[in-house]
Amino acid sequence: MGSSAEEYAAFEQRVGRTVYFDNLSPQVTESVLRTALDQFATVKSVKFLPNYIGPSNLPQCALVELDSAKKAKEVISMIGQYPFMMSGMPRPVRARHAEMEMFDDRPRKPNRKIKCSWLEPSDPNFQVAKELKNLTRKHSLEIQFVHKLQLEEEEKLAKQQEDTLKVHYKKFKMIDGIMADKTAHRLARKYNLRITDE
Amino acid sequence: MTLQHCDSSQLPELKITRKGIPTHRNMAAEAGEDEVLEFKWGKQRGVGGRKKGVRFYESFTFDGVYYALFDSVFLFKEGESVPYIGKLVKIWETPDKSKKVKILWYFRPSEIRNFLEGTVTQYNELFLASGEGPGLTNVCPLESIAGKCNVVCISNDSRNPYPSDKELQMAEFVFYRFFDVGKRMIVDKIDDMIAGVEVKNIFNNLDSQKPVGLVKHDLERKEVSGNVTTSNEVVALMSQKTSQPLIVKPDSKSCDSLVRENAVSQLMLGKTHIPSVGVKENGVSKASLVKAKSSTKLSYGSGAGLEMRNMAKTDVECGNGSIEKNNLRDRADSKKDDLNDVGVLDGQNSKGIVGEKVLEKDKRGGFSKVSSAKVNSNTQNRRLITYDDDDDDNNLKSVAPSSKDKYKHPRAKDSCVEEGPSKKLKIDKKPTNNLFELCKKDSCVEEGPSEKLKIVKKPTNLSKSWKEDSRVEEGPSKKFKIDKKPTNLTKSCKESSSVPSNMEHKLDFHAKEVTRKPDVDKSKWFKAVPWEEKMKNAYELGKLVLLENLDPSLSSSEVQDIIMDGFKESCTAKMIQKTAYSSPHSGQAFVIFRRKETAELVIRKLEEGCFLMSNGRPLVGSIGVPCFPEKKPIFHGHHVVDQLRLMQMQREMKDAVSTSHCSQPNNIEYDMAIEWCVLQERGDKLWKMLYQQQGEELSRLKVKLKSQI
Repeated sequence: MGSSAEEYAAFEQRVGRTVYFDNLSPQVTESVLRTALDQFATVKSVKFLPNYIGPSNLPQCALVELDSAKKAKEVISMIGQYPFMMSGMPRPVRARHAEMEMFDDRPRKPNRKIKCSWLEPSDPNFQVAKELKNLTRKHSLEIQFVHKLQLEEEEKLAKQQEDTLKVHYKKFKMIDGIMADKTAHRLARKYNLRITDE
Repeated sequence: MTLQHCDSSQLPELKITRKGIPTHRNMAAEAGEDEVLEFKWGKQRGVGGRKKGVRFYESFTFDGVYYALFDSVFLFKEGESVPYIGKLVKIWETPDKSKKVKILWYFRPSEIRNFLEGTVTQYNELFLASGEGPGLTNVCPLESIAGKCNVVCISNDSRNPYPSDKELQMAEFVFYRFFDVGKRMIVDKIDDMIAGVEVKNIFNNLDSQKPVGLVKHDLERKEVSGNVTTSNEVVALMSQKTSQPLIVKPDSKSCDSLVRENAVSQLMLGKTHIPSVGVKENGVSKASLVKAKSSTKLSYGSGAGLEMRNMAKTDVECGNGSIEKNNLRDRADSKKDDLNDVGVLDGQNSKGIVGEKVLEKDKRGGFSKVSSAKVNSNTQNRRLITYDDDDDDNNLKSVAPSSKDKYKHPRAKDSCVEEGPSKKLKIDKKPTNNLFELCKKDSCVEEGPSEKLKIVKKPTNLSKSWKEDSRVEEGPSKKFKIDKKPTNLTKSCKESSSVPSNMEHKLDFHAKEVTRKPDVDKSKWFKAVPWEEKMKNAYELGKLVLLENLDPSLSSSEVQDIIMDGFKESCTAKMIQKTAYSSPHSGQAFVIFRRKETAELVIRKLEEGCFLMSNGRPLVGSIGVPCFPEKKPIFHGHHVVDQLRLMQMQREMKDAVSTSHCSQPNNIEYDMAIEWCVLQERGDKLWKMLYQQQGEELSRLKVKLKSQI
């Protein structure tokens, strides 16, 4: 028992110094994360969370274990203050404290007793349990729906930003090209202004 | 000289890895100070190979044991609790004089448990690797061979000469099925070749030579013990050590029968006097032994012992003498305090055992006396425990100072050994056996239970020093003792199959064998199939079930336990890792069952019935449909101006870096990033509200549950 309690305590510490990242682009790899965070702290390990049930287009999530809980806190607050870009712009990544349930290899909680039993159909709880089951199903559908909604929202924003960006790009390109295609000279002549072509 | 020899061979720093990265055991460095391990090539097969200068051989003698091509051998790997078993399919020496063997592997059922798919296996069954893929064969340094292993093929294949009953009885392991390392499944039939080896070499005809070899070793050993009777005492002690375990075996058997017959001292006598009883006892003990596997080993060992006896009566007598001596000693130790009559014996024993050996031999008549005295002294067993820490030590010192270095070795080897046990460890060979014997005898005699426990504890300590673990500690029952005994027996039987110098080394791995934890899946050297792949296969076969409404904090193994509890089905479970969006109310897990029918049954049961878990959670199950990552995942929100895309990609390729930075509030990127942050926040709010609402709904319903479990 003692060893499992120790193991659990060690695990808790590990959770404490781990940062959870999401909104990661699929292009982000372990080395990207490492180089990105090396400037703030020593990265001990990186683990991507697999997405087994959600919609397949969900952004990546990862657990990054740093060298201390203090560093983890710093990183989280830093990334909270400034939008932090990884492998692309302008969608920033997001950092949070890791939670135990995010870990795949979490040890058993020591001293926990799990009880379970089959219910007789005559049991008064049977109906309630049935309702609970239905509710659970309903909830998971809701979750799926919200995921979809969120993805749609993201897509919408991305589209909108892309449009803005295109407009901006066009504008800058025009300004950039104003000297090259003699527009500036033409205008200068028209308004009797002197420009030096340097 | 012999002792030195022993020394050098005791540290089996053999490292083979099955993955094919053998590390060499540096024989020269290890043994060089004293002498190099005995090694001799046998018949040469040819020269050749890709580079010229490789010599192939058909046989060799290593550490006094003759190995031929297609022999089965134990291979010891450091850190492994049990030795690997494989078949020599090629033996050669490279131009740089390193000796190599190609090993075709046998698998223990525990090593391939994941792939057994409910196949029932025999206790001593092995699976020979077949097919193609990693794990079929490996090239290992010859020095990693730890000993010969007697494996008999009991396949009904027409190409296989069926082994005789005797051979079967002698077999440490049997095999008749194969494990296809490529397909990772059990197959019953094989083609004409495995790993380029003709099938006739895989079946018995060559294996059958092995028992002969064994007998030979016995003979060798016998010779040594022959020396015992005649030559000097140190050697005598040595050989006694080697022969003693052998002889102890029948001893223990008779102990077992003792249990049954309750005729303690008489039978004890009988045992030592009538060696031929061994055979009968053999059967008996087999029946009584809990662990069947070891029982065959036992019988085998005892067979060897018997042979030895028959072959050289005098040796036997000498051996008996040594048993007695040991028994006497142990007993004497226990009695030292109180029984004065025996004290005489005792004094003699502890002081001058060597000199006394002859005496003791003569004293066989007195043996019964002693044993009955022992019965009386059983109450003193507790003292025995405290006592023999130092006493045995003393004994040893006084008995055989020259053999001390040998004893030191285990200690050096097991750095983890604590002080007390290490002392015992030093003398482990004899005392272990004797103690087991003792405790068996003691339990025959039926003392108070506490007494028994104490006695059992003693071996536990001992075994602890051998890095054995929980299993041993768990069950200080008689069963366990019997269980343990055979392991010693096997040990000794193994010892008997090789020259004395090899002994410690063998012992070592045997102690490890006891360590085996039944629950641990030993298939770790097969790269564990990634969960994704497993899940995908299971999904395609309809064996995958999605469980919902679990406590999110459960671990995967706990889910497996729950399924075991509720459905009596074993499965592989994996909790789905939480993300920022996961529900705090309902944990999900994918579970792979062994069969599709099982999976369907579980789902139906969950559908029709209600399986309520802690905190009023009824388990919900459905057919699992995992989401597989897309080849080209879409990710919204990273923009690259089309014209620049190419340029950027080139740059990233060239620099092999991906940029990451904090955005500064003076450009458009920052503005857009803030837009994303707003969206993220909004999303978070949404999730929070959703889960809050769901939580409320749940708690409203849960109130209705009458009594929660």
